[in-house]
Amino acid sequence: MFRRLLFDNWVSLFPLVALITAGSVYATIFYRALRMKRPQIDRFSSLPFAPETAVTTDESK
Amino acid sequence: MSDRKITIEYNDGIVRQFLLACVLWGAVGMLVGVFVASQLNYWRLNFDLPWLTFGRLRPLHTNAVIFAFVGNMMFAGVYYSTQRLVKARLASDFLSQLHFWGWQLIIVAAAITLPLGFSRGKEYAELIWPINIAVAFIWVVFAVNFFWTLARRREPALYVAIWFYIGTIITVAMLYIVNHLSIPTSLLHSYPVFAGVQDALVQWWYGHNAVAFFLTTPILGIMYYFVPKAAERPVYSYRLSVIHFWSLVFVYIWAGPHHLLNTALPGWLQALGMTFSLMLWAPSWGGMLNGLLTLRGAWHKLRTDPVLKFFAAAVTFYGMATFEGPLLSIKSVNALGHYTDWIIGHVHAGALGWNGFMAAGMIYWLLPRLWNKPLHSTSLANLHFWLGTVGILLYVAAMWTSGITQGLMLNATTDNGTVLAYPNFLDTLNAIRPMMLFRVFGGTLYLVGWFLLAYNLYRTVRGAQPVNGTVEVFTADVHEEEKLGFGSMLFNPPVLFSVFGTAFACAWMFGGDLLKLGGLFGTALVILLAWVHFGSRTSRWAAWYDRLLLNALPFTLLTFLAVAAGGLIQIIPTTLVNRPDNIEGRRQLPYTPLELAGRDIFIREGCYNCHSQMIRTLVPDVLRYGDYSRLGESIYDHPFQWGSRRTGPDLARLGGKYPNIWHYRHMENPRDVSPGSNMPNYPWLITQKTDVAALPSKLAVQRLLGVPYPEYKEGELAVLVETQEKTIAADLKTAGAYVAPDREIVALIAYLQKLGKYETVAPLKTVAGRE
Repeated sequence: MFRRLLFDNWVSLFPLVALITAGSVYATIFYRALRMKRPQIDRFSSLPFAPETAVTTDESK
Repeated sequence: MSDRKITIEYNDGIVRQFLLACVLWGAVGMLVGVFVASQLNYWRLNFDLPWLTFGRLRPLHTNAVIFAFVGNMMFAGVYYSTQRLVKARLASDFLSQLHFWGWQLIIVAAAITLPLGFSRGKEYAELIWPINIAVAFIWVVFAVNFFWTLARRREPALYVAIWFYIGTIITVAMLYIVNHLSIPTSLLHSYPVFAGVQDALVQWWYGHNAVAFFLTTPILGIMYYFVPKAAERPVYSYRLSVIHFWSLVFVYIWAGPHHLLNTALPGWLQALGMTFSLMLWAPSWGGMLNGLLTLRGAWHKLRTDPVLKFFAAAVTFYGMATFEGPLLSIKSVNALGHYTDWIIGHVHAGALGWNGFMAAGMIYWLLPRLWNKPLHSTSLANLHFWLGTVGILLYVAAMWTSGITQGLMLNATTDNGTVLAYPNFLDTLNAIRPMMLFRVFGGTLYLVGWFLLAYNLYRTVRGAQPVNGTVEVFTADVHEEEKLGFGSMLFNPPVLFSVFGTAFACAWMFGGDLLKLGGLFGTALVILLAWVHFGSRTSRWAAWYDRLLLNALPFTLLTFLAVAAGGLIQIIPTTLVNRPDNIEGRRQLPYTPLELAGRDIFIREGCYNCHSQMIRTLVPDVLRYGDYSRLGESIYDHPFQWGSRRTGPDLARLGGKYPNIWHYRHMENPRDVSPGSNMPNYPWLITQKTDVAALPSKLAVQRLLGVPYPEYKEGELAVLVETQEKTIAADLKTAGAYVAPDREIVALIAYLQKLGKYETVAPLKTVAGRE
């Protein structure tokens, strides 16, 4: 059945399907991102800032 | 929650190791880059030595920069940030060391084998099969170490950088394995299982996504960790980073065919590649703006802080490169830019500007923290920044000018588009020589900047004591209700609707009459049901998504499904359809054994680095090189050799264009027959013997792959080879060149004279009653 792809002129349809697919993905993710709550966002975005200290290491071990 | 407090010491030793390796291999990769760029200006720099020729060294440059330089940088950044983001030491010191030393061994093996001519003949995938297995193994080691660390994490939430790392690990594994599927003919040689158009599609699915998932997504993860750290403020918009991740994961994987526009690749794939490439504008620029806006309120620090300077410039170059990529994916723009230096400029804006500057920023930020000592010289780091910036700008501007100039000249016609304005290819090459020289200058500036970084690093760490970061955490259990089991991961509304929607859409797109109708209705029904269900059960959908963000394994599996879908929908129909049996019109004539040996010499010398074998469906291409290439004309080519850059002319229809003696003289000294050429001499082809002994195993593998070679009786193969060798050698002798028939030059001439030869095949019936 895939052989029809060789011979039929389906080219015009693919950009449209691609547009709809990508548009759906963008819309869904955009909606989910917007629905994230402020405390959740603050928690996630502060993850790189956990305090840490340094300890000397002996790398010859 | 338990209140027991423990101290975790991070494994920063491995970060230091990868960081030092990054600096070393970065210098090597860039040095080779400057050298090969100089060879394009001064052909004598090839020194008539096989292991120093452009065709063999250019793959060394690309592989060194991608896998050695950016690879080591990526591992350093991933290991440093992951430990801190999940508050856990790397799971295994042994696996970390195995990862490091295994990767360095692979790089050394590549640095030895590539100049010696051991190559698979596919760009960024040249390494031979034993090294491929080593790469896959070490990548698995990396993945196990990473996911094991995630499993031991004390921070339940997964920061967006971790998402990008997960996407990288699984996608690179998938791409690498599929594109390197080969059948060995010996310990050092193999043929890829795909051929012609299949191989082209798989190669650029891999090649494009090597850029996407090796050079981009891990570095974006690094950006989302290190830029906020350096700017001392959280990422501008975490929401935007979420959109950035999911959009890239869904869209990037589809864009590979934009490397094959206007070629013999089926039109639907070209349309798909172009459209999805244009879609990439939105998420890429969203990410770029997010990175730059993270510096809000910290712009004044750029005057003094070299780290922020590098990061700001790197993110800006990311924006430039991701604007240019989709632009070049528009078919009409691609007709001008493809096969020219414009692409080289685009790639280097990304590699030098985005990857190189992110690496520099990260290294300057890490040095004082990993060795507990201030950076030796901020002034030198600033000087590095300005040298690098001017170097990139010179490089990229030169390549843009060169590419557009050569593209315009190659495509220029007169007499109402019926005659080429510049029929001599060398006219177009000579026109861009000044720009090629500027490229060397720009690249050298960038390299000098890198050497300054290496010196700064040396002075900083000399006599310094390495330190590891530590963090105090409370031991805590992840709440049971936050866990997402295998069942709840797959059997939930969002996943089920997506799976059924995709299945019905595929049936609609690819199916026969009934299936097509069923697929159309099925797709519509799934969308409708999903919409209704979402409206009535919104909180259930949201709860599933929120739990997904806390569960690494389900997150990984679903990310894998997202990236795999794009590849499968493009590759499966192509590999099933575009087979020799289905070809209409023109079908390639299989190479004789001697021609096959000659082809392997062509691949060994890396001729594809400068010569394409694909006449595009464009008038100037057809006027210059002959009738456009058909899909069937490379259907037996394991690997395909369509090329990506024309420093020299296309070779698709070279067979029969010149007499044998022309090729002999051309290989001996190209300037004898093409004055002004910058092609290297190949004197060793005249003295080295053709490896006929390897032919039986090569032919056996070709046969296995579907190339219609007969089973030769004992002695028959040798006679066949000798007969063709003697015919060519006799012809050369008549023309005044004396060469033994068993020399490589004879096999190569046999191959070159076969290019473009085909048989005509009657049209196949497509649908019942229709031809």
